[in-house]
Amino acid sequence: MMLASFLAAERIDQTPSAIWPEGYELVFGSIATVLIFALLWWKAGPIVKRGMAARTARIQGELDSAAGALESAEAESARIRQALGDIAAERSRILAEADAQAEALLVDGRARLEVEIADMHAKADADIAAVMSRGSDEMRADIARLSSAAADRVVERTIDAETQQRLVEDFISRVGAGVTT
Amino acid sequence: MTTDARIDGYARGLFEVAKGEGTLDEVEDELFRFARLYEANDSLRNTLTDDQIPPPRRQGIVEDLLSGKATPTTVQLVSMVVGSGRSRDLPQIIDRMVELAARSKDVTVAEVRSAVELTADQRDRLRAALANATGKSVNLKVVVDPFVLGGLVATVGDTVIDGTVRTRLDELKSRL
Repeated sequence: MMLASFLAAERIDQTPSAIWPEGYELVFGSIATVLIFALLWWKAGPIVKRGMAARTARIQGELDSAAGALESAEAESARIRQALGDIAAERSRILAEADAQAEALLVDGRARLEVEIADMHAKADADIAAVMSRGSDEMRADIARLSSAAADRVVERTIDAETQQRLVEDFISRVGAGVTT
Repeated sequence: MTTDARIDGYARGLFEVAKGEGTLDEVEDELFRFARLYEANDSLRNTLTDDQIPPPRRQGIVEDLLSGKATPTTVQLVSMVVGSGRSRDLPQIIDRMVELAARSKDVTVAEVRSAVELTADQRDRLRAALANATGKSVNLKVVVDPFVLGGLVATVGDTVIDGTVRTRLDELKSRL
């Protein structure tokens, strides 16, 4: 509404076209535009060119940096893979060594156990033999003690006066015959 | 003075007294028997060596014990040794005195232990047998010792002739 009011307020006869300006406005406008563009080309062109070059260089630098980072990452990746490989090898080696040690320990333990079992068997056999021997010795000692006591009593009861005289006479005869033992 | 010298001194004194009295054989035999009794009887030994009993009291015990069973010389000699406080050495003194007596008669003492008393005939034959076996004249001293059980054991110097049942029994026990 306002635009219509403004256009209505203008003198319609001053402009041949509602769309195109006057011819001289076009000329001067075109020249001015060319001048402005030339000025821009002349003054701003190098700046823009330098900015573009700097941007290109910056992008190139970033690309180079990215490439370096990529290379570094790949190297790190390779190193990590190498390290992983080394760790796996070390793990395998440690596991193999542990297996070997465990096997050796088992063999050693088994051998020691067998020796200990043999020792225990031998000791048990010796203990049994000792107990049997001791029992046998004690029994023998008991028999000897009882036999001795019995012998004393039997001899004391059986040696009468006649036997005493015979023993005395035997001794005298034996000594008289020169037997001194 | 050492103990050996003192024992020798007392033995010689006993020997000289008995010899002077003319009862050497009898006295030495009685002393020998008393020595063996002293060794075998703990009660007698403890009494005669008890320092708490005064010597005169101990002499009185000896005199009461031997009175009528031994010659007065024997009783006096034992009483003298006991009174002088030498009761502990009594067996050694008497044994030494018996040795002196045997040596004076040029004989060797043969100590015979028997379970029973020997007859005079057995003593004579045993003396002769021991003299024959050892080649020495022997002065036979018989000790009745029930411990031997039976038979005899004769000790002549260092020679021991053992025919006792006790020894055979001990050997049997050893074998057992």
